[in-house]
Amino acid sequence: MINLRNVRKFYGALEVIKGVDITVEDGEFAVFVGPSGCGKSTLLRMIAGLEGIDEGDLVLNGQRINDVPPDKRGIAMVFQSYALYPHMTVAENIGFSLSLKKVPETEIKKQVEGVAEILQLTDYLSRKPGALSGGQRQRVAIGRAIIKKPSLILFDEPLSNLDSALRVQMRAELQRLHRELKATVVYVTHDQVEAMTMADRIVVLNKGVVAQQGAPMELYHQPENEFVATFIGSPKMNVLPMTATRRDAGKVHLESPLGLAIDLTDANGSVPQGEAKLGIRPEHLKLAPQGQGDFSAEVVIVERLGVETYLTVGSQQQPIVVRTEGDMTIRPGDRVSLTAERAACHLFDSTGRVLRSAQI
Amino acid sequence: MTAISPSEGANKTRSDLLAYATLTIISIFCAVPFFWVLLASFDGNAQLFLRWPEQWTLANYVRVFTKEDGAKWLFNSLFVVGGATLIVMVLAGLGGYALSRTRAWWKLPFLYAILLIRVLPPTALVVPLYKFLLTLNNAEGAILRPIFGSYARDIMRWTGFIDGYLGIMLVLATMQLPLALWIMKTFFDGLPRDYEEAAVMDGATMMQRIRRVLIPLAMPGLAAAGLFAFMSAWGDFLLPLIFLSSPELQTLPLGLFRAFLRINEIDYGLLTALAFIYLLPAVVAFGFARRFLVQTFSGGVKG
Amino acid sequence: MARNSHEKRTERQLLLVLLPSLVLLLAFVIYPALYSVYLSFTNEALTGAAALRPRFVGIRNYVRLFNDAKFWNSLFVTFVFVMGSAVIGQFVLGLISAMALRRPIRFRQFFSSIILLPNAAPEVVAGFMWISMLAGGEHATLSRIVAFFGINPTDWLNAFPLSMIIIVNTWRGIATAMILLTAGLSTIPAEIYEAARMDGATPSQMFRRITLPLMMPTILLYMLISAVSTIAVFGLVYALTRGGPGGATEVVSIYIYNQSFTAFQLGYGAAVAVVALIISLILGIGYVRAMKVEV
Repeated sequence: MINLRNVRKFYGALEVIKGVDITVEDGEFAVFVGPSGCGKSTLLRMIAGLEGIDEGDLVLNGQRINDVPPDKRGIAMVFQSYALYPHMTVAENIGFSLSLKKVPETEIKKQVEGVAEILQLTDYLSRKPGALSGGQRQRVAIGRAIIKKPSLILFDEPLSNLDSALRVQMRAELQRLHRELKATVVYVTHDQVEAMTMADRIVVLNKGVVAQQGAPMELYHQPENEFVATFIGSPKMNVLPMTATRRDAGKVHLESPLGLAIDLTDANGSVPQGEAKLGIRPEHLKLAPQGQGDFSAEVVIVERLGVETYLTVGSQQQPIVVRTEGDMTIRPGDRVSLTAERAACHLFDSTGRVLRSAQI
Repeated sequence: MTAISPSEGANKTRSDLLAYATLTIISIFCAVPFFWVLLASFDGNAQLFLRWPEQWTLANYVRVFTKEDGAKWLFNSLFVVGGATLIVMVLAGLGGYALSRTRAWWKLPFLYAILLIRVLPPTALVVPLYKFLLTLNNAEGAILRPIFGSYARDIMRWTGFIDGYLGIMLVLATMQLPLALWIMKTFFDGLPRDYEEAAVMDGATMMQRIRRVLIPLAMPGLAAAGLFAFMSAWGDFLLPLIFLSSPELQTLPLGLFRAFLRINEIDYGLLTALAFIYLLPAVVAFGFARRFLVQTFSGGVKG
Repeated sequence: MARNSHEKRTERQLLLVLLPSLVLLLAFVIYPALYSVYLSFTNEALTGAAALRPRFVGIRNYVRLFNDAKFWNSLFVTFVFVMGSAVIGQFVLGLISAMALRRPIRFRQFFSSIILLPNAAPEVVAGFMWISMLAGGEHATLSRIVAFFGINPTDWLNAFPLSMIIIVNTWRGIATAMILLTAGLSTIPAEIYEAARMDGATPSQMFRRITLPLMMPTILLYMLISAVSTIAVFGLVYALTRGGPGGATEVVSIYIYNQSFTAFQLGYGAAVAVVALIISLILGIGYVRAMKVEV
């Protein structure tokens, strides 16, 4: 189990990691995700030992490892560019860490062959990295990591260098490997689709702070703030500015300049009067018969994908994306009526904090 | 990367200290020889060995120009090397462009030939070159003398091949051409053809394209090639030694060398002042060329 | 290949533009080189009987060369000179400088400028600067430095002539080594060193098993370039020792000069020159292949 407790990091006077608390359980596949510059790679390198931790504790299996050198932490890392040694063969690359410790040749050979079999690299052992495909190179990088029998494997955006078809294939392979090796993994990516499909636990980072951590569906259904709500899920959740006025106890009435007026349950009375933001995902807005529904809007863009159709309605200042199943023959300029699924509405206050979560 | 543990942090500072130490030692090794030239040239009573001057003076520099032919040497060096550099820049600018853009059969052989020419030691070429230039010189004399009579000799000072400005300029230029051509070729290789193609669409002929589009774009490359050619030709000692004999044409390295060969007392103050004058343009050119050094050589590493 | 008439015309124009350079190179480099070969088979001289009527003498010059102790001496001296200054001296100091300058220390521009400075000095000036350092017995700068460490000074240029010119040429050439090796070092991605760190490599292991092997192509290129340019060194050695004492520093280029312009044996000098040309060309061909010329 790995713990980060109130970890901070400064570059000169600039604080880049601002008090981060994260826990990853044994065998979990944890994904650190967030926009560029959020600090996810920095955190990964701090766990690896390639960057220092200025404040706070990094605890691995009960031991504080802040000051332990990178090669003695029992942690292995797969770099974004794989960082394979170009002048060594696959076998030599995988066995490098062992040869540094002067392990006997026969033992190295045995272990390398074992690892190669797990990763289906046996036929490529005598090739050099230059003669391998992207997917093969990644497997060699993984081999180099697992031969050290680490307690934790770190991945730094490993799929970003691959084309999309290969990426899908490698995602499946990585998940398979994770199950087989029963390893604990911390995986960094900027792609929330990768995060959602691969993770047991997602840690969303924003500007050096943890925005939320939890299981993927938790983050999808119960985002704790506007940032996570709009970061997770593609296309992004629609966020509409509304004004809240109290109707009667247990319910709050919301109105938007667009003409949308809805009532939402508010059992705790936690929604104050005044400004609020309504969050609703495109998949939770439904087309209603003309004239009925919560509001109507003009269609601006239609994107037909066959299996689903995305409509962008409303105005340029306030576009709203709607997802419908199947193919639609609606055209730009048509007016449509829409209903918002009440149970799937989120409310955020002006700072982005969640006031009311979806009730799904 | 920041320190990650007390022991590794100490390692890092230790490595940095080691870097400072080695660089300081190497720098001292590189700099010390220059001190003598610097100090002794301002020394009223300069000696061969390094010492702090008791009396500071500019008299040495004055003597370079009054007692010796310093002005003539300086002029000759500037004229000859400057002329050669200009020739190189023009020919390499045009030739480098041609080498870059052509797709003819002779491109690869020519490039190989340039590389091979660069490895030939000049001392091995000097003798036949001398005989060849002598022949050309005699031929030229044979043509000019009937027309200009006694003036032929003066004209030959400028246009002659042996002991003439033209000859030494052409030979110096030729020696710098291979490197210059290579630099310009690599430079043009890196220049997208879009600019020329746009010019072609605008109806420009090749000469117009070269003059109005390419030369402005090629300035950095030309500057690099020119500076390297200048520095190399400026320091050339062998070629002026062989091909210039009359006192009017002597260049700085020769003047410096002869000043050192005096039979009686060697005037070290004058010598070092002269050396400093000779040194200065090279160092100035080097200061400008610094930027280009890395690019030129990295291009070499990548082929 | 040029196909249509427009392309053909362009190609012709390009060739025309290249012509002046071609003419100069042919006239002043290629022709002398070939003429050198021809001369080496004659007994041309500027004095003596042969001066009036030079004859073709076949390989007599080469036979003489083969038996000439001074020739072999010059080859030996040149070999030691190249080994000492280019292969060892400049390379080691250049590599140390290149690696030290990659560290995040201050004054990097200052250090690199000073280290590159010797290369900017013209040959003759460099020679004189070092004469001041080395000649003059106990007053020479080097003498005073070693006296500080308790070593007895001597007349350096006379006592250790070959070692001295090696030191001077090393001093002059650190710049080239440093620049080339820096360029080579920068082609190794930083992530590889980080991966090695995760694998537990010590700095010395990183150098031996990663830096050095990956630098091999650059190092090879450097060796070839510096070997050929060191063979060509003339002015520096001439200014320092004139090739003496007693031929101790008579590198090949000085031997050619002495034979041709002091002994006036042009034919014989040409033979030596041809040998030097051939050695340089062999190295040059290695250089060309290492460069992997791109068209």
